[in-house]
Amino acid sequence: MSAVNERVATATPAIDDVPLPQAVRTGLNRRSLLIGLGVAVAVFLVGLAAPSVASSTYNQGILVSGAILGMVALSIAFLAHRSGLVSLGQTAFYGGAAYLVAIATTTWGWSPLAAGALGFFGAIVLAVIIGALCVRTPGMSFVMLTLAFGQALYQFVILDSVRKTTGAFDGLSVTFAPNTTFLGLTQSDIATPSKIWPLVWGCLVVIATIFWLAGRSRFGTLLEGIRENEERARFSGYNTYLPRLAAFTLSGAAAGVAGVLFAFTSAYVSPDVMTFSTAGNALIAAIVGGVGTLIGPVLGALVYVWGQNKFASTSGSNIDFYTGIALIIVLVFLPGGIVGSLERLFRWAKGRLRRRSS
Amino acid sequence: MNLAQLLNGISLGALLMIVSSGLAMIYGLRGVMNFSHGALYMVGAYVAFAVTTKVSFWFALIGAPLVLGVVGAILELAVFRRVEKRSPIEVALIAFGIALLIERGVVAIWGSNTKPVPAPAALSGTWTFLGTSYPSYRLVVIGIAFVVAIALVVWLWRSRTGLHIRAASHDGGTASVMGVNVDMMSLIVVCLGAALAGLAGTLAAPFVSADPSMDTAILINALIVVVVGGLGSIAGAMITGLALGILQVLGNVYVPSVAPLVPYALLIAIILWRPQGLAGTRTQ
Repeated sequence: MSAVNERVATATPAIDDVPLPQAVRTGLNRRSLLIGLGVAVAVFLVGLAAPSVASSTYNQGILVSGAILGMVALSIAFLAHRSGLVSLGQTAFYGGAAYLVAIATTTWGWSPLAAGALGFFGAIVLAVIIGALCVRTPGMSFVMLTLAFGQALYQFVILDSVRKTTGAFDGLSVTFAPNTTFLGLTQSDIATPSKIWPLVWGCLVVIATIFWLAGRSRFGTLLEGIRENEERARFSGYNTYLPRLAAFTLSGAAAGVAGVLFAFTSAYVSPDVMTFSTAGNALIAAIVGGVGTLIGPVLGALVYVWGQNKFASTSGSNIDFYTGIALIIVLVFLPGGIVGSLERLFRWAKGRLRRRSS
Repeated sequence: MNLAQLLNGISLGALLMIVSSGLAMIYGLRGVMNFSHGALYMVGAYVAFAVTTKVSFWFALIGAPLVLGVVGAILELAVFRRVEKRSPIEVALIAFGIALLIERGVVAIWGSNTKPVPAPAALSGTWTFLGTSYPSYRLVVIGIAFVVAIALVVWLWRSRTGLHIRAASHDGGTASVMGVNVDMMSLIVVCLGAALAGLAGTLAAPFVSADPSMDTAILINALIVVVVGGLGSIAGAMITGLALGILQVLGNVYVPSVAPLVPYALLIAIILWRPQGLAGTRTQ
């Protein structure tokens, strides 16, 4: 079936062959591009002040963890919003990158920068492989396949037979070789939230900007077209497989960056980073915040990390109760998440005001 | 190969068979991947603990499925029916949220410690079977699970209600036009699915103990079974559940180093080879 369709698709002259002006080809005009990049730089500069606002080390630690989880949530949101693919396996790239960093620094004695690069590129390779197998089957099957890959990797790192490499349930510490630094930061600098914040915040802003650009570009429009009606997109001469694989890989790479930063800032990687509940919590943070926005998932992740610390108790964290409630309320009553709903409310109020004044 | 190992596999598979058949039934009729199914199974184990300490295990065997049937009715009437127009993934995530609430509810009532449930005294010994002695309780579990599974299949294929359920699962719109009360069938199916999860939780309690983290493991396995068996196919889920239990135990015996990966490898291989699952006719 699909083979036949692909043949039809290649027989039709592809839209790409028709010469188009630059702006139409990328879908971005110079003006909106400049405004977007300007906003990104401004947001980055303002955000640098965050540690001085959150004065205690405890609060600064929450900011750093929240921003890292925010990258994972953002990666899930990008894929869900643009492609309609809901991933429960983002922990494979997040946790996979974190484990690669831990193994490379502690076991192999690599320099932190090389270990970080290994984690990042490892996550990309993993995303290409898993994505190549998963993105063909949308809907519930995609959820199940990503869940299976994520959990398979979790089961793999806790195997007794690889205990020497991964530490099984004990996890691995991330220890820098003596006198080595990560981009000029020593291990004790990295453990200090106010010193690592500019790097973490910078990564978050860059990721958000890339997702924004990808969403605004022709690539984003194509992804949305495929999401709405794959068959029609295919009959219109588009390859519908590669764009989705590219989106999946982009999303996996962002989760990989988060994993690298997590390994460095927490100096310890345990199988917890790959559990079903970690995957679920990142997804919930994205949905509650609002998958259609860039701020929503980050805000959702920050609130989650804050709540996780606040409601921690001896009988497991009560945060699960609140996340459960928040997830149900948002899904039932606030489609679009909290930020998405606020945006709608704002637009509605603006419309009302304009109508009244005219 | 060892008969005791095979029986271990069958008893594990029998539990998976019961849990997954309920999950598959709900998916077939409601189109809902019930992510709270593992939590229902866990509640079954805790109700079994409460009833066993107060009265006896035999009451729990009847009581837990009844309690869970009521929970299923609430789930259907208060949640699934209200969101039936939403996309399947949204409803699955709502069920996931409900699972989180149930889990915290269980911890609030029973605490986070593991609660051991003793097997009834009459079944605490071993029976010798073809020269192998084996815990009699597990043999009874296998027996009960098979009786329930056969009864379910006969009921679905021989009774009028079963016919209506199959019709509604196949095509709810047409069945409704032909006079099938689809809402009623959904209620029956969700109640029954939840009751089956409760029964499995009760049966499992004496050998795994009630524990607040027991829901995730069984949920993931049951989801795998339902997808591999074929979305919505009850027979497919039953056979796959039984087979997965046996495969896991055999994996532990022959390839212990990679045994935990067996279910995932199975799922990935099957979805890529047959996206609709072994016995399935649809992919969504």
